[in-house]
Amino acid sequence: MSSKLSDFISEKNIVMDLHAKTRDEAIHQLALILQQNGSVSDADDFYHDVLHRESLTTTGIGNNIAIPHGKSTSVIQSTMLFAKNSEPLAWHSLDGSEVNIIFLMAVSPESKGDAHLRMLAKLSGKLMDDDFVKAIKSAQTSEEILKILKS
Amino acid sequence: MAKKIVAVTACIAGIAHTYMAAENLKKFAKKEGYDIKVETQGAMGVENRLSQSEIDAADVVIFAVDTNVQEPDRFEGKKTLKVGTSEVVKDGKSAIDQAIALIN
Repeated sequence: MSSKLSDFISEKNIVMDLHAKTRDEAIHQLALILQQNGSVSDADDFYHDVLHRESLTTTGIGNNIAIPHGKSTSVIQSTMLFAKNSEPLAWHSLDGSEVNIIFLMAVSPESKGDAHLRMLAKLSGKLMDDDFVKAIKSAQTSEEILKILKS
Repeated sequence: MAKKIVAVTACIAGIAHTYMAAENLKKFAKKEGYDIKVETQGAMGVENRLSQSEIDAADVVIFAVDTNVQEPDRFEGKKTLKVGTSEVVKDGKSAIDQAIALIN
C-alpha cells in the first residue's frame, strides 16, 4: 500500500493566499476550509480542539513553520491543509520566529494507524529535511507545492 | 568504533512531534558519525521496535518524550538522556551532544 502524500492531497488542500492577522484567525479560517472540503463536520469544534493542542505546547517548530493539529471527533477523514499566510504571525515558536507556513493536520480519533495517519507522520519527518523546507518556502504556486509534496 | 545510540520518541498526540524528533535525531547522529536506531511510539503504535540486544549493545539511550515510555524495563541500567520532543525538534545536535557527553 502506498502512502505518498500526493495520494491524499490535491489543490483543494493548498491555500496560497491566507490573509489571517493572528494565529487563531489562521486556524479558524483553515478549519472552515476543511469543513467546505468535507473533511471536518464542525469547523468550530475542530478549531477548539486544535487550540487546545496548541495550549499544551506550541506547534511553531521554527523556521517560520507551524504544524497545528487536532485529533477531533469532528474530523471525518484524516487529512492536512497547507497554507501560506500573507504576513508572518506570532506563534510562540521554538526559535522565536514568526510563522507564514502552516501545515494544519486534522486527525480522526478512529484513524488509528491508517494510511492517512502515516502520511501525516511522514510529512512531519520531512519537515526536518532542510532541502524539503527550502523548497516549500520558495514555492510560489499551489502546483509547485503539490510537486514538492509528491517528490 | 562508532558510538551506538538507541532512542525512543513519543509525544502526546502521537501525530507529528514523535516523527519529527525521530528524524532530527537520525539526521544529527549521522552527521556526527554515530550509529542510531530510533523507536517511535506514536499514533501508529510502536514502530521500528528496539530489540533487547540492540538496547544492550547501545552506549547510550535517548528518550525524547513528552509522555511515558512504553515498556521502560527494557532500558533498565542504561545511561539515559531524557528530553522533550520539542527540544529535539528545535536542536537535534544538542540532544545528540548531551547524550554523548553522558558516556565520554
